[in-house]
Amino acid sequence: MNLSTLTRASSLSTTITSTTLRRSITISSSSLSYTPTSTNPKTPLFLRPPIFTATLTDLQKFQNWAKTLTSSIGSSFKDSDNGPDSTILHRELNWFIEDAVENPNSLLTQSETEIGRVVKLRAELGDLYTLWKQRIEKRRPFQYVVGCEHWRDLVLSVEEGVLIPRPETELIVDLVCDVMKMNEEMKSGLWVDLGTGSGAIGIAIARVLGEFGRVIATDLSPVAVHVAQFNVKRYNLQDKVSVMQGSWFDPLSGFEGRVAGLVSNPPYIPSGHINGLQAEVGRHEPILALDGGEDGMSDLLHLCNGAEFMLKSGGFFAFETNGEDQCRFLVDHMKSVHNNSFCDLKIIPDLAGIQRFVTGIRS
Amino acid sequence: MSADVPKSFLIQGPWQPSHMALHLMKSCLKLFPNPPSPITPSPLRRCQIHFSILNTTTTTSFSPNRTSLFHYTTINDKFPPVSSSNNDGGRELVSLSDEKLLSQCEMDTYKASGPGGQHRNKRESAVRLKHIPTGIVAQASEDRSQHKNRASALARLRSLLALKVRNTIDLETYTPPPELLQVLPAKSTIRGSDRGPQIGPNNPKFVLGMQALLDLIFAVEGSVSDAAKKLGLSTGALSRLILSDDSLRQAVNEFRTSKGMKPLK
Repeated sequence: MNLSTLTRASSLSTTITSTTLRRSITISSSSLSYTPTSTNPKTPLFLRPPIFTATLTDLQKFQNWAKTLTSSIGSSFKDSDNGPDSTILHRELNWFIEDAVENPNSLLTQSETEIGRVVKLRAELGDLYTLWKQRIEKRRPFQYVVGCEHWRDLVLSVEEGVLIPRPETELIVDLVCDVMKMNEEMKSGLWVDLGTGSGAIGIAIARVLGEFGRVIATDLSPVAVHVAQFNVKRYNLQDKVSVMQGSWFDPLSGFEGRVAGLVSNPPYIPSGHINGLQAEVGRHEPILALDGGEDGMSDLLHLCNGAEFMLKSGGFFAFETNGEDQCRFLVDHMKSVHNNSFCDLKIIPDLAGIQRFVTGIRS
Repeated sequence: MSADVPKSFLIQGPWQPSHMALHLMKSCLKLFPNPPSPITPSPLRRCQIHFSILNTTTTTSFSPNRTSLFHYTTINDKFPPVSSSNNDGGRELVSLSDEKLLSQCEMDTYKASGPGGQHRNKRESAVRLKHIPTGIVAQASEDRSQHKNRASALARLRSLLALKVRNTIDLETYTPPPELLQVLPAKSTIRGSDRGPQIGPNNPKFVLGMQALLDLIFAVEGSVSDAAKKLGLSTGALSRLILSDDSLRQAVNEFRTSKGMKPLK
């Protein structure tokens, strides 16, 4: 941990310096630093050892404090930048306590006589105060606060510098499963997840592949590469998923024309919209993973062009987009520019009904 | 109505969009003679309905031109009454594979305010399933992933179908189906010793047995002692089985109340 992190961290809370020093002995990574300073991914809160304790009374004091702070938000975030309202934040608070306490179910069955009972925690009680303050006052995304996101049936480690996987993106895996159901051969093919971030799509695909299927997941960001590798290891998929650092197709030289499936959730937000994003996204998530250039299409077009020479005949692609306009533009582009290279081009909506994905087959 | 719509039940219409979130369609007018009313969520355990998210949504989230990946059937907000007797419709529905059952559903999340995707971090992972043929709605929002909420909503839908869709039974020739025998206690004289251990409410297979039991209870007009005779059980033993599951108890009591009988306690 370097000096600049300490300075930044200590401005957050007066108690942080001592906490950080103690943590550096007991736990290698601190949840309290904002900017990734090392390439060692942080351990998500729920996976840390429950080596701290607090009395039930003190934990309840924290809970009441956090509830009051959370309620005070009302709809102010929602009104200012379409952020979460206090209902959503209260739900997050429950999940936060769930992750921080060793045996959250035991909290539900407490009786009067157990008030003095000691509860085991995965972070110091003081840190819980600091972390929840960060959530509310700094609008630090909940997923960075607890260091993980629940996505499909996975729990993925995430931290600053890595895009938090979105629920919409879960559908890409369903689309891939549909393709594999129609064509068993695809299960033994090479799949590529470009701009993998936390590794979400690549890992989920690897878990539905057959014995010989493989995934290459690429990302330009070294932090993302390390976090994705951490997640791959956690699901014991090292033999199936290789995470490579580099821009889009760069790490894939030698695989031209051999890829069975290509999937990506590339940055697609138009540059002009970045400033208006809700604070959790705009202030905290990596701009590299969000900003898709002037019309948001720079990377998507690059991916479409690359798909033509990377995919083998019959190969499948699925890309996430910003919505209907981008979907239509991409389909038109592929029809006109890559005449006859792709067939079965489809626009598929997400579960909120927004035209979200473009899929197709290499002719 | 499409060809695979089971016809063994009556459906009350029209769908009222303004109360859509609160209404689970009473699927059987004949057997639920009271006027359709919102089903209260509180006493249901296995079919818990969560409303916390709904408070923040409006009916505009169910716009008629919305489509989703798993929506293969035409959206039809009005269900004309259908009366016919295809005996196995309800049982078939409950025993469909997840995939097949999903294909009869319209699935959506709560409408994104704004463009969604990378723009948004709200952890709104709630999923709502509407079973098109019956209009029954199940939703789940308690989990942190949309994927798991979808699985919970589907399990809930299965329970609701079992509770709401009745198969007609001919009492003269009645023999309990295997799925019902499996949920009976070992002391039943007709259960047979090769049935394996009794399946309890936490087992997903319980739903099918529950449906068959409700079919029988409805056929004997709510009389627990008559049903117990058919199952080789004492009235007390069958009462205990019914009371072992909150949603089953509630369905039986609702029916008994409608027949002017005392609820089981």
